[in-house]
Amino acid sequence: MASITIRNLVKNYGGVTVIPGLDLEIADEEFIVLVGPSGCGKSTLLRVLAGLEAIDGGELMIGDRRVNEVPAAKRDIAMVFQDYALYPHMTVRQNMAFALEMRGAESAEIASKIEEAARLLDIQPYLDRRPKALSGGQRQRVAMGRAIVRDPQVFLFDEPLSNLDAKLRGQVRAEIKMLSKKLKTTMVFVTHDQIEAMTMADRIVVMKAGVIQQVGTPEQVYENPANLFVASFIGSPSMNFLPVDIQADGLRLADGSLLPESLIARPSGDHGKLTLGIRPEHFELVQEGQGLAADIELVEPLGSDTLVHVSAAGQEVIVRVSPDLRPKAGQRIWLSPAAGKAHLFDPETEIRIDGTGKAD
Amino acid sequence: MAMKPSDSRWLDWINVVLLVLAGMIVMTPTAWMILSSFKPSYEVIAFPPKLVFTPVIENYVTLSKQTPFLSYGINSLIVTFGSTVFGLLLGAPAAFVASWTRITWPAVVALMARMAPGTLFLLPWYVMFRQVDMIGSYWALILTHAVITLPIVIWVLLPYFDNIPRSIFEAAQVDGCSPFRIFRRIALPLVSSGLAVSAILAFVFSWNFFLFSLVLSNSQTKTLIAASFNFIGEGSTNWGGLMAAATIIALPPLILAAIVQRWLISGLTLGAVKG
Repeated sequence: MASITIRNLVKNYGGVTVIPGLDLEIADEEFIVLVGPSGCGKSTLLRVLAGLEAIDGGELMIGDRRVNEVPAAKRDIAMVFQDYALYPHMTVRQNMAFALEMRGAESAEIASKIEEAARLLDIQPYLDRRPKALSGGQRQRVAMGRAIVRDPQVFLFDEPLSNLDAKLRGQVRAEIKMLSKKLKTTMVFVTHDQIEAMTMADRIVVMKAGVIQQVGTPEQVYENPANLFVASFIGSPSMNFLPVDIQADGLRLADGSLLPESLIARPSGDHGKLTLGIRPEHFELVQEGQGLAADIELVEPLGSDTLVHVSAAGQEVIVRVSPDLRPKAGQRIWLSPAAGKAHLFDPETEIRIDGTGKAD
Repeated sequence: MAMKPSDSRWLDWINVVLLVLAGMIVMTPTAWMILSSFKPSYEVIAFPPKLVFTPVIENYVTLSKQTPFLSYGINSLIVTFGSTVFGLLLGAPAAFVASWTRITWPAVVALMARMAPGTLFLLPWYVMFRQVDMIGSYWALILTHAVITLPIVIWVLLPYFDNIPRSIFEAAQVDGCSPFRIFRRIALPLVSSGLAVSAILAFVFSWNFFLFSLVLSNSQTKTLIAASFNFIGEGSTNWGGLMAAATIIALPPLILAAIVQRWLISGLTLGAVKG
């Protein structure tokens, strides 16, 4: 168990800089999720932490130890790979024993650690099978078991759920979360799935083009996104963005409708045109003639709630409503942002602006 | 455009005919050699050739009486086995490193060395081995035959190593393995069928190689294939003896190929179907 400190970390591939200088502090026993779209540098960062990629600049500390030049084999970290990377010619037991054998552990110690991990992960019946005789979910468990037996300082997960079907993914997600509470080890988990990030993380690190966009608890990132990218990436469906003009009497939308100031903390200073961000569940249906006129184009019933695609202020907007409302395509409804739930962003810097007129 | 069933049947027939033709081209000399080894010498070159004849074993009897064929066979085994082991010991790590680092130019150089005519190496080697008084030694033959076996081992094993997901090696690194241990504990067991294929091919190519043994061996270390040259005299050639010798020489590779043909084919096509 150890903290991780990353100071001004730089990673280049050939002449291309994929991480231009990154700072991050991960506390001991913390569950951190690195999230972002493909190519954002999250897996590269994980591989740098693992020692599978060299560091081109900056400093990486695991606990009190600087590990820039320490090879993967000596970092005392365990990693669960996207394709599980189990050794195909070894049984589950041998897979789990391998790292301990490399460390020179006694066979009695190896056997007891394997038994303990197998019980924790419920894989005792498969210990003498080869990986090819296991299902995807079982392999995933074995990969975790292989990591657990080592009792490492840090666990690294590289999109370990992406090869599982949706149902199993949800189940394993919960299991990993529970496991992290039991093991009390620092965990760094990489995913492009914002639901995984939201449900598992103590803190989320949102990345884009090798740069951290925001670090915060799932609630902070969801409720107060730092910029347009975070606002659009976190949340499904994505936040709706509408261009607005700040006027003396409120926020005027592209279709001329006016949103009252009371709904949104008016930014101080001279801003002019801004981008209004509203999550689909943060719209309220209001009486005809009030708020924003919206024509329903498509209705997607999800069971627990219903997604309504509407045309409003000249663009497509998605609204989440109760299924009891039973909206119909072609119908006109009137929408207003829930009080205090809408956000304003500077369209040029893309940074969120709070009521003081400053970026958060 | 979808193919009609009748078109498909025609293509099947064309395939069969082409395969039979190819088989005849490949097998006719072998069949000729084996049949001729059971004919008296004068019948071997008779024209038109006799397909129906009374088989005799005099060529094999003469061969065993007149030449130390067994010791030549042992020499062949020592040289072939030695050069195959040598090729595997150097070629398997070389292929692993080439695959790991994705630096394949040394493998290309090795292949070019294999494609170059043997005479290119022969003269410098002859001079070098003479200077160190190694002409006629097994070591000279084993080392020179490694030029045959090493590129085969590298080129057969390279796609096998490439086929192993990189994450498996990375998992081993994270598990505390040194590169050598990754090679020995993870990579080698995963390419065991490739090792068998490369060993068989290296064995066969080394067994059949004539030139180096002809020049670099002496009467004590002469291999079977070089010894068979003795049947070709200046004035006359003992065709029956030559055919009997050729049949015996060809047997080990033929038997090996027959035993492992399924393995061999899947091994050789691995690179082609790599996803």
